[in-house]
Amino acid sequence: MSSTPNHKTPAAKRKDFVRTNIPLSENMTSTLILMLLVCAGVAIAIKGRHFNPDIFNVRTGSLDSTAAVVEGKSQTPGSVAGAEPMAEKSLPATNATAKGQAAPASPSEESSAEGGGAGVPVAAKGEAMEILLGGIKPMSPTEFYTADNLFEKIDGRAPAYQGFHVDKLRCRSFTVDASAGSFVDVYEYGFDSPVDAFGMFSMERDPKGTALDFAPDGYCSGGTSWFFRQGAVYVQVIASDQKPETVAAAAAIAKNRAGALPADDKGLAGRRSLPSAGLIADSVSYVPENAQGQSSFKDVFQAKYKYQNAELPFFIMVAKPEEAASAWKSFQNFCGRFGKVDVLPDVNGGKIFMAQLFGKWKVVYQRGNELGGVFDASSAEAARAFVEKYLSGEIK
Amino acid sequence: MTPQNPDESTEDSNQPSGSPVSRREFLLRLGATGALIAGSGIAAKMLWRPDHFVPGFEKEKGLQLRSYAPEVSSVLPSLSIAHGTDHEGTIRAAIGALGGMHRFIQKGDVVMIKPNVAFDRPPPLAATTHPDALRAVAKLVLEAGASRVVVADNPINSPTGCFLKSGLTAVASEMNLDLMYPVSNAFSPLQLNGEILKNWTFFSEPFKKANKVIGLSPCKDHNLCHASMTMKNWYGLLGGRRNQFHQHIHSIVSDFALMMKPTLVILDGMNVLMSNGPTGGRLSDVKPMNTVVAGTDMVAVDSYGYTHLLERDLAELTYIHKAHERGLGNMNWKDLLYKEVQA
Repeated sequence: MSSTPNHKTPAAKRKDFVRTNIPLSENMTSTLILMLLVCAGVAIAIKGRHFNPDIFNVRTGSLDSTAAVVEGKSQTPGSVAGAEPMAEKSLPATNATAKGQAAPASPSEESSAEGGGAGVPVAAKGEAMEILLGGIKPMSPTEFYTADNLFEKIDGRAPAYQGFHVDKLRCRSFTVDASAGSFVDVYEYGFDSPVDAFGMFSMERDPKGTALDFAPDGYCSGGTSWFFRQGAVYVQVIASDQKPETVAAAAAIAKNRAGALPADDKGLAGRRSLPSAGLIADSVSYVPENAQGQSSFKDVFQAKYKYQNAELPFFIMVAKPEEAASAWKSFQNFCGRFGKVDVLPDVNGGKIFMAQLFGKWKVVYQRGNELGGVFDASSAEAARAFVEKYLSGEIK
Repeated sequence: MTPQNPDESTEDSNQPSGSPVSRREFLLRLGATGALIAGSGIAAKMLWRPDHFVPGFEKEKGLQLRSYAPEVSSVLPSLSIAHGTDHEGTIRAAIGALGGMHRFIQKGDVVMIKPNVAFDRPPPLAATTHPDALRAVAKLVLEAGASRVVVADNPINSPTGCFLKSGLTAVASEMNLDLMYPVSNAFSPLQLNGEILKNWTFFSEPFKKANKVIGLSPCKDHNLCHASMTMKNWYGLLGGRRNQFHQHIHSIVSDFALMMKPTLVILDGMNVLMSNGPTGGRLSDVKPMNTVVAGTDMVAVDSYGYTHLLERDLAELTYIHKAHERGLGNMNWKDLLYKEVQA
């Protein structure tokens, strides 16, 4: 039996995939693509044969849009276009320059130079620190830093400042005419608020420092360094040595800065009362109202303290004495409704109650216009001891 | 003659021979494709260089520092502790207890001294290597016959400001030491198989000249890693945005014990920055401890410094434990041959 001509086998029915009539344009395009691929491969092979840092490093120019992050980078005095003048005048020639070395690169310049990019000069931004006092001269341009690049000036110390919401740093050095080789460094750390500035100031406070008559939140340390808060600015004035001329110049600068910066104590009444001993950085917080769930608790400062191997949350509110007394009584009643309350003996004029609520301890005092205490403590003994030592002045 | 189907006629015009692919041809094509894929795989494997940090086709390596450490002695101590009242006398006593500077420096050596000049702070604040310490070490090195002394660091702040305000510029001028600043072309890539530090830009210029390396660091508190002593001092040789390593500060500091095998390290504990480090700022942060520790094992030196100079519990100093566990030094300094002397 034979098949008819129109009756195809399955194989014969299959459509063949081979194309023979390929248009010239298609052939040319394909050839061009293949040639481009070969060229790209050859180029990569040649370029990759040798290490060239120019290829693999960031061109700093391309980062102009994010320049704010690095603006104010510390500069080699006088090395940067746009920086303030008169910097280099007071700097003596160094051995390195005497031996013919090139001028040093600042870290920012170094980075760009290593990358082979065109170093982008970082100009100073902000208002220069001018101190119009006799006997001192600027030693370097004013340096400016933001919270983001503060580490470029103070390195590992920066996180502590960031914890208190530092906003900027402006600093400058001044030579002392009467003492060759001596200088005074002035640092002005700007914070988000006077409360933040006070927080950082308190954390670094020298317990042996002597109080200043021109700045209530301030002290002189070791006779050579002045530290104070003025408004939202934490000022540090540091003399290079203990020569009387240098110390006198530093003291004059400190007074000048206290007078030049605007005073602002907003929100600080309670904050000032928080003890600094054992204070855990980053733990200070401000509760404007309804603290501890009490409508009468307003403008409260809270912080955590390390004490006797325990971490104790502590709060303070400053109000009128009658308001503080009323709030203390109200809180005692509140605690009595939900737990057990014991009234403790007075300490140094302070009334105290101790309460256990939901397995945690509260020790709350009221003295004059101040109401405060430890809350949510796991250790009753530590909480009580902390409050009693605070009231007796042993914890400051 | 059978009439042709119009559709069939169109198909046939694109058909070279009209026959489907034979089994033989199919197998040949399959084999060729397989061979091509296998060849590509072999070629890729040959070109693959997992340790290479630059895309390319030739083996490129960054700088690998050699060891500058002296030969191990079974007789002489590898750690010394000296107590005294002035830098020169105390440093002399510490080096003397190790067998003298001649043990480490020979005539004609070019010696690099790496101070810690990270900040533009004056000497009394103890945030930087004290100029009297540099003077004393340079004097000992020159007395031992060194032909040249290079002093180099890559500070965090402006280099001129840091060297000038720390008082090291004056010492360099006075003693004719080569102060080497981190100029643009003084850096090159470093290659290391560290825990964190793999390939990084490095202040390499001093190492092209020096054949002996001495680390001379202050002993101070550090806000991030608890303490900055002889190991942390080498951080100042890194370039670029090195602050990013702060995320892994203990790992990078322990890596320095792998990166650097110095001839000698000296920990200046005459005045110790006990708090508010690494910058300090108050004289009240500084405590006179009147001690200098020197040795060839920086893990041991730092271990002593942390417990006896900063007066803290070694258990909290993670980088020391990391370095010890990695076999980069011995944190149990009493296990070493050591000598304690009075200047």
